[in-house]
Amino acid sequence: MSSWLANTISEAEQVNDWLSPKRAESLALLKNTPWPNRKTEAWRYTPINVIERARFSAANDTTVQAAAIENLDSIDLVFVDGIFDAQASTDNFPEGLCITQLSEGKNCDWALDSFKKTKPNKHFFGLINDTLATSGCIIDVAAAAKIEKPIRIVQSFSAGSQSHTRILVRVGPSAKLCVVEQLQGDELCFNTSFAEYDIGEAATLEHYRLAMQCQAAISIGGSHFSLAQSAQLTSNLIGFGSQLSRVDMDIIHAGEKAISKLNVIYLLDGRELFDLHSSFEHTVAHGTSDQNIRCIVADHANAVFNGRIHIHRDAQKILASMNNRNLLMSDDAQVNTKPELEIYADDVRCAHGVTIAEIDEEAMFYLQSRGISRSDAQVMLSFGFINELVDQMPNIAIADWLRPQLRNRFANMEIR
Amino acid sequence: MTDQLDEALQREYEAGFVSDIESRTFEPGLDEDVIRRISAMKEEPQWMLDWRLKAFALWQKMPEPDWAHIQYDKMDFQSISYYSAPKSMDERPKSLDEVDPELLATYEKLGIPLIEQQQLAGIAVDVVFDSVSVVTTFREKLKEQGVIFCPISDAIKEHPELVKKYLGTVVSQKDNFFAALNCAVFTDGSFVYIPKGTRCPMELSTYFRINELNTGQFERTLIIADEGSHVSYLEGCTAPQRDENQLHAAVVELVCLDNAEIKYSTVQNWYPGDENGKGGIYNFVTKRGICHDNAKISWTQVETGSAVTWKYPSCILKGDNSIGEFYSVALTRGAQQADTGTKMIHLGKNTRSTIISKGISAGKSNNSYRGLVHMGKGAKGARNFTQCDSLLIGDKCGAHTFPYVESRNPTAIVEHEATTSKVSDDQMFLCRQRGLDPEKAVSMIVNGFCKEVFKELPMEFAVEAGKLLEISLEGSVG
Repeated sequence: MSSWLANTISEAEQVNDWLSPKRAESLALLKNTPWPNRKTEAWRYTPINVIERARFSAANDTTVQAAAIENLDSIDLVFVDGIFDAQASTDNFPEGLCITQLSEGKNCDWALDSFKKTKPNKHFFGLINDTLATSGCIIDVAAAAKIEKPIRIVQSFSAGSQSHTRILVRVGPSAKLCVVEQLQGDELCFNTSFAEYDIGEAATLEHYRLAMQCQAAISIGGSHFSLAQSAQLTSNLIGFGSQLSRVDMDIIHAGEKAISKLNVIYLLDGRELFDLHSSFEHTVAHGTSDQNIRCIVADHANAVFNGRIHIHRDAQKILASMNNRNLLMSDDAQVNTKPELEIYADDVRCAHGVTIAEIDEEAMFYLQSRGISRSDAQVMLSFGFINELVDQMPNIAIADWLRPQLRNRFANMEIR
Repeated sequence: MTDQLDEALQREYEAGFVSDIESRTFEPGLDEDVIRRISAMKEEPQWMLDWRLKAFALWQKMPEPDWAHIQYDKMDFQSISYYSAPKSMDERPKSLDEVDPELLATYEKLGIPLIEQQQLAGIAVDVVFDSVSVVTTFREKLKEQGVIFCPISDAIKEHPELVKKYLGTVVSQKDNFFAALNCAVFTDGSFVYIPKGTRCPMELSTYFRINELNTGQFERTLIIADEGSHVSYLEGCTAPQRDENQLHAAVVELVCLDNAEIKYSTVQNWYPGDENGKGGIYNFVTKRGICHDNAKISWTQVETGSAVTWKYPSCILKGDNSIGEFYSVALTRGAQQADTGTKMIHLGKNTRSTIISKGISAGKSNNSYRGLVHMGKGAKGARNFTQCDSLLIGDKCGAHTFPYVESRNPTAIVEHEATTSKVSDDQMFLCRQRGLDPEKAVSMIVNGFCKEVFKELPMEFAVEAGKLLEISLEGSVG
């Protein structure tokens, strides 16, 4: 066992709060899970030894400021290095919405059951988060409550910090909610951030995970959703790569007639790495799921995707699709993708597709023949490639805020 | 529907009979001594024995792989006998007249006449029975053209320079657990060498039969197509119906030099076990070919048998402009499990590969496609197209897809698509409305589903494959 893991375990043994019974289960599992390496299927293309090498502390620099999203009128919850910043956060909430800090969670009777209910146990760092996450928040939306303002959970990280946060969300039956998880910071830090969403009957959740930590940051996390009958989920993930970025999206269709949609854009540059694992579990009949993953990789970057559609026995009449398209921009960039289907019911329609290629020379020629410079044409075509997904975002303010940021990424990208 | 399915699953396995042939079989068990004895039986030179022992030492340190989507009771490698040969083969028969009539009758029964005059003109057959090659037809005729087609044990003695040069260059001793085992204990198999610029005048084929109880079959095939040559090779296999599982761990190596072409077709019909998964062959096979400049390897497989199939015929596209193809139909029913697919490793410029995989699962079976497409840094302008479709018949089976796609070169284009569906009600309605009974309709739809692959098979095999599929699907619809 590495000294890093030994320290983590001894640290975890000190944690004592209302979640202790659940933490103990994960700790026991963690002790029996070997440190992931290249032979571990879930970490095949993502080396993690950098975590062992770097030194982190809980000490933090509270001067770190999170970027605001222009024109977005939101309920803000701000965390700096995993510590709640009450001053920067909103303190009055609309009717039907209840937000509690994770440390105060013993007052929410449902929260203990919800903790690690949708997040799968197999994730090594998920287990670490289970045992160490003492900060975060619990969000509860009452039945039929329509929360108009999006909840924006901003997490920023300073150099050398280590933090573990957990978010638990319950959306009551027929309620409506929009959550934006925003993560940022370019410094070398290590954070795990997991969120679990329990979406009630006929409820609607609009979700954004803006994983915009770049450069030296080490960020591992995931958003996990459970959909009850007729629930609807639209999730958008934006990923900027960093030294090590890993996001897991698990969507469980626990009730019939649920509809889920996941759109993902990732843009990688330099020596960045972004590893996305998505999993759709159709445990019951009658469900629809759709995922679109678009990725642009430049310079020496490495894009990893592992998508999975799992249709359980007797979960008939499922329509599931997965589409992964990758644009390689340089000789040294790489794409590693694995779209899996695991199907145990016969009356279903499932499809997946993957493409990997560079920008179409003919399209380039067409634009250049119209007097557009090669570099402009390249930005136009690659931006068009992802803008299709940005256009689908239901929240216009977020889409408008994202576009220039995405375009900036291209401007800086080293293109062939 | 389920009742009729069950009925279909109870159909008899036509090749399931046992031939009563007295055999010389080693005691079960595996150690260096057994390997030395195999080597001695085959009158092998010292270098071959050393090669085997090295593989055995490597194998002992390897763990058995468990990443495939299959479940089976782990084998006890000490309870298998590693050599079994009909006694009548002690003295190698010099011509067909000297071959034990019981052996000939076995092949007669399987529909493979060994007497040259009775054969379809244009097919030379090497027949492997348990651990030995019984007969190789048309050897002399092929020799006139410089083509070498013989059991690999003969090749080791007669053409050591070729065997030494190429054996283990595509699948090395430490390649994987089952390949290492094969390297240590392989008994027989075919050896083919096609000289420069020669187009092999007839189809070559090998027919494998496991007969003896508690034995495993470990054959090794090595095909070398020298510059500018062409060969088409067919492979078929059957085994008796037994309650015990038997292991088949083969290795096939193809070396395709500049401008050469190898077409390798398999119809695999090992005993699949009964409907509850009792008995049947464990088929753990490593097949791989290497393509030099402008060369082409084409794998076509029809997999209908075996209790467990673990098989990934692959191409290393090392030379510029080389081509790899993989066409596969895998049918599982009863309690069969198949984890099969291919690897296309693109290393050279302008290399191209096509993967067409059709999986059909019925009964309680599980059918997985597992594939890798790798575009190396030097694979400038390379191209891959992959299509894997699964068809589910019945609600107790499973169909899975695990494709790995890795690209390191921006000019390489990779396309992958997969679909899973059942025989649609619309298709059935259309066929029935035109007066076809449901069984015929399904057979027709399934045949259409597999057409892209069947058209790649040589004529005789295409007919056999179509028939096999038809028998297997009998009564599976309501």
